Amino acid sequence: METNPIVLFGALAYFAVIFGIGWYTRKASTDANEFYVAGRKVGPFVNGSALAATYFSPASFLGLPAFIFLLGYPFWWALVGIIGGMPIATLLTAAPLRKYAPTSFTDYYADRYDTKWMRLICAFPTVICGFTYVILSIIGTALFMLCILGVPFTYSVIIASAVVFVYIFFGGMVATTMSTAFQGIAMTVASVTAAIVVIHHFGGLNGLTDAVIANNANFFNLPYVAKASHPLMNMWTGVIGFFFVWHFGFSAMPYTVVRFFTTQDIKAARRSVFWAVLIGGLMYMGLIVIGTGTRVLIENLHPLMADPNIGSAVALLKHLKAQMAVGGASLTDYSMIAAMDSLNNPWLLSIIVAGGLAIAMATAAGWTMVLNVILGRDLLGKVFGMAWPEEKPVQCTRVMTVIIIGVCMLFSFEPPGLVLDLSGAAFIIILCSVGPPLIFGLWWEKATTMAAGLTITIMTFCSAGAWLYAKFTLGSAHWFFLSDKANKISTPHQFYWVFIGLAFFIILSLVTKPCKEEVIQKYVIDLRPER
Amino acid sequence: MFKGMPKIFWIGMAIMYGWCFLFMGLEMTIPGFPLKKFLGVPACYIYNMIFALWIVPTIISYIFFKSEENREALLEKGGN
Repeated sequence: METNPIVLFGALAYFAVIFGIGWYTRKASTDANEFYVAGRKVGPFVNGSALAATYFSPASFLGLPAFIFLLGYPFWWALVGIIGGMPIATLLTAAPLRKYAPTSFTDYYADRYDTKWMRLICAFPTVICGFTYVILSIIGTALFMLCILGVPFTYSVIIASAVVFVYIFFGGMVATTMSTAFQGIAMTVASVTAAIVVIHHFGGLNGLTDAVIANNANFFNLPYVAKASHPLMNMWTGVIGFFFVWHFGFSAMPYTVVRFFTTQDIKAARRSVFWAVLIGGLMYMGLIVIGTGTRVLIENLHPLMADPNIGSAVALLKHLKAQMAVGGASLTDYSMIAAMDSLNNPWLLSIIVAGGLAIAMATAAGWTMVLNVILGRDLLGKVFGMAWPEEKPVQCTRVMTVIIIGVCMLFSFEPPGLVLDLSGAAFIIILCSVGPPLIFGLWWEKATTMAAGLTITIMTFCSAGAWLYAKFTLGSAHWFFLSDKANKISTPHQFYWVFIGLAFFIILSLVTKPCKEEVIQKYVIDLRPER
Repeated sequence: MFKGMPKIFWIGMAIMYGWCFLFMGLEMTIPGFPLKKFLGVPACYIYNMIFALWIVPTIISYIFFKSEENREALLEKGGN
């Protein structure tokens, strides 16, 4: 692969803006309050755009079009599930958590359940999933670097890690909030622009649909009424399962929840969800069009399809994987970039690369900040009593950043799964473990410490165990882990654990000792909307 | 459980889940439903890509923050 100067220009222009914002806001990151929660002075639009950029990751930008490419139209409902779940956060978590105004994700658990050890318990799944997300963000950044520079994947991972590291090291929450807000706009512009070009190329939505059906007659088929678009979509559990995998994430995932802490007030927290939905929904509409057209674009237009040894889009992606020495499981993750490459428009590719870098870096920064605070301030400081994180918060988080990015870079050389698979696993583990104690802790007086501790511990092991068991015995984490190999049931990412986790928490809370009355008053009743 | 949660939250949930599962159900019972023409294009672009994905969630999130702001303004007036 050769470097296209226009694509390189697009990437450099993006970096110039990002590091310009970082430089302009650098003085704001000198004390703990500014570094951790941006001084709680972020307005609704900026916070909403930053929320969208942080919440949506390379798993969205690369992974969702790749899964539409693989699974067909029924996977559109997964995107609907993600955006449709976002408004829930407005009243469920954004408003009460901003009213409470903590510094860290684990603060609420420690205060509501009245023990510092809850920080350690809820840090366990959060740290595992946080590392997973930073890894997938580095992989995403590396795939875009590979497109820009044309260097082998290993070098791309090193460059991507360095870029993400510098960005976070000098940032803190102020710089990352401001630049992440810009990234939210950049990724949406990229996605919508690409969708318009794709629709224009096919002469409208009818032309796109006709071309897709001519390429794959089963693409728009749903279960029960025709031959399914893919074996995973052969029964309703596949469609509904993908709808729910990421559905509740915006309300309970640590990297979005912490952005509610940074707003000026409760009003701004609620309004920021509206802006995030508006911006994110537009971007997802673009991703649907791109994903729908990916296979037909690659197979009809990509120059490498002229090679007689390459007979399909999947074969082309395998060829590119070998050519660029991409390690591990990454294969279809590159399909969206390959589809855009097929249109032979370097200006479009430069916009896509800038948007892709924006989304990858924003998520890496969001999760690294969460991990920084949990590992430094919360565990070393609050649980184990070290003074260092409180006395020198910036130094502490920067040391943590070095460790986090270093470890994640090592795992990124051989990606352990597709970016969307890594994301799905992280979501399910978090949502079924730390999700119920957060939601019920805010809205139910009877939520108990014992129920919280047991739910987090047991659900983390059950969901991660089922996911890994299905992947290694049935070949995919999307089959029900106890399925008979000859008659597999589709349960994407073992999504049912989210509902089991909720039920498990309720039952345990009903049979265990309630928390102290003053704790319930302060962290449940006082956080309700005023009447 | 969920004591004090504004009623609009449940109304919003009913609209969002109602819309999604109604059309999902129609797709699984009527052959070729996503490709039936509506406003000159396959219907799935209208009810799924535009409405379920963007318009409905945007309207719900708008109603959520606006209704709470209106309610708080009324409370403030009442307090004064």
